[in-house]
Amino acid sequence: MTAGVREHPAAPGSTVSPEDEADASGTAASPRAWRPRVGHGMRRYVAGRAGHALLVVALVYLLTYWVLFALPGDPVRNRLENPQNPVPPEQAQVIIEYYNLDLSAVEQFLITLGRLFQGDLGYSLGTGRAVGDLFAQGIGSTLLLALVAFGIAVLIATLVAVFAVFSRSAAVRAALNVYPSLALSTPSFLVGLFLLQLFSYQLGWVSALDTDGPAGLILPALTLGIAVSPSVTQVLIQGLGEANDQPFVKVLKAKGLSRSRIIGRHLLRNGSIPALTLLALTIADLIAGSVIVESVFNRAGLGLVTEQAVRSQDSPVVLAVVLFVAALYSVVNLIADLIYPLIDPRIVITESRVARRPARRPAGPPGDPNVSLPKGTS
Amino acid sequence: MTTSLPTAGVLAPRDGRSPESDGDSRLAPGQTGRQRVRAVLRTLRPADWLSGLFVLGLLIAVAAPTLLTSYDPLEAGAGQILEAPGAAHLLGTDYLGRDLASRLVFGTTTTFSASAVAVTVGLAGGIVLGLLAGYLGGWVDALVSRIVDVLLSVPGLLLSMVVIVALGFGAINAAIAVGISSIANFARITRSEVLRIRNSAFVEAAQHQGSGRARTLVHHILPNSLGPVLTLIPLQFGGAIIWISALSFLGFGAVPPQPEWGLLVSEGRQYLMSAPWLLIGPGLAIVLTVLSLSHLQRLAARLRKEFS
Repeated sequence: MTAGVREHPAAPGSTVSPEDEADASGTAASPRAWRPRVGHGMRRYVAGRAGHALLVVALVYLLTYWVLFALPGDPVRNRLENPQNPVPPEQAQVIIEYYNLDLSAVEQFLITLGRLFQGDLGYSLGTGRAVGDLFAQGIGSTLLLALVAFGIAVLIATLVAVFAVFSRSAAVRAALNVYPSLALSTPSFLVGLFLLQLFSYQLGWVSALDTDGPAGLILPALTLGIAVSPSVTQVLIQGLGEANDQPFVKVLKAKGLSRSRIIGRHLLRNGSIPALTLLALTIADLIAGSVIVESVFNRAGLGLVTEQAVRSQDSPVVLAVVLFVAALYSVVNLIADLIYPLIDPRIVITESRVARRPARRPAGPPGDPNVSLPKGTS
Repeated sequence: MTTSLPTAGVLAPRDGRSPESDGDSRLAPGQTGRQRVRAVLRTLRPADWLSGLFVLGLLIAVAAPTLLTSYDPLEAGAGQILEAPGAAHLLGTDYLGRDLASRLVFGTTTTFSASAVAVTVGLAGGIVLGLLAGYLGGWVDALVSRIVDVLLSVPGLLLSMVVIVALGFGAINAAIAVGISSIANFARITRSEVLRIRNSAFVEAAQHQGSGRARTLVHHILPNSLGPVLTLIPLQFGGAIIWISALSFLGFGAVPPQPEWGLLVSEGRQYLMSAPWLLIGPGLAIVLTVLSLSHLQRLAARLRKEFS
């Protein structure tokens, strides 16, 4: 995890190429083409964004540490001084030495931070196991769950949005347009329990007890996928609707393209750009959502570890989970920002550090980078 | 603040700018108040009425729960354990024989007051942070913006759980935790509103008249930037209901004998196979409430646009 944090600046190394591609496909041909100067400014932009991400992750760690350990009600001291379950003196001495309770809060924090950089996340207060071990045990199952859920969310969002915008039946369009707000209003534990009741108890398709194997993954992943889908669906519906209103659609129709080809090749690629960015941001939500989903389906993983840690007020584990999720969020956010020009060639990273401006496209229908006016063939 | 792309915020209708009369306003100038009301009523659709009535019912459940149910939500009934919905018990009874409908009605108060606490914490924290950041600028703005970044980079549920670990379990602590995790949303909107208003002519005029920084902030900038922030409340209230019920469902919020919607679902969960109706009432209550609130929010935004 710490490695992930420190790898930030290295991750976006490949982002120089989208600039070249943008030039080649879009603006190079035109005489007034605005050429982004790749190089120094780009590198500074990447470094600035990476530095900002690193700063935010560091602040998350600092604030969470402060909230969990430095405020009154220090969990370690509580555990030592718990009158019902006294810790034997020699063990207490070990704990005091490990957590340096005889030092000041700032010194304690610095020592904890030093250990973090050596890969030592501390020990669970509840079970006494190393937090790193708990992570190693749970992370695989949760990442698999998140990955499948991510795929399901993409599938749901695409299907719902396409039919909500392009279905020929007004009733279907109206019904599907309700989906985002309905899904947003339904807590994921209800979705999970409903699916469990329907598919396990009523229909008997999936065992409620068997949580291993692909069959045990389907319902939790579906629940988690539905939980993160509404915002993406909503943005995709808007994006497709806006793309559909643009004049280039008329050009495509005039070219004689079939409806499905216009939707699949042109409208989806144009209208999905905002949704793609949002999709990147849902990855942290997937991990956080696994707390509820794994608890509903009683499935081992990072979410269940987190839930038990909160239940037993096991601060070191909670701190590690927060650090992991914040780092994941920041890295994904950073990557999404940097590969943006790759997805949408109209967007280029200018030398002014954060500003984005569309490249001018004097020729060709505005708005659709996929459309170049028919070159002889049509 | 680096976000320049639509995030979850796009789901909330933003009507920061007060709409100019753009020709399609359905009100002729000089209409009386009654005509105005009638014009508004004519545009309402069935869904608007339904969600309004539902929220009205919820408010009655909060103000006078005994009007809606004759059972005591805490009284266990021997010999009527896990009864299916019927004439005597509209939504059935739970594992102690308590009337579920009554627990649901009384639970409205628990859930709503927790959400109200959450929204108040979020609103107060967000407005203070946003005002200071937008008005003072400089390092204060940088600091607040980093705090907002921090709050946004940890998903709400996880953030509330951190606060709960620090504060301890309980309905109030869960509410405060949810409130803290919603500060970022309020702070962002307040800050952008303050930035918009800070340089307007009337603020400058107030300053020329000798109004000090604090007075300008409280008397001129705050009231004029509140509008868009307040329109966020119904949506955040609905969100708070979901998060609080999720925390209660996990066992971090309300404590068992208390009737709370999320807790009712959690209690019914053990009887999912034998008594699935235990989930229908509380589940529908949560979904319909949040749905109605977000519908009313959109309705309010629509009406403001059409009749301003």
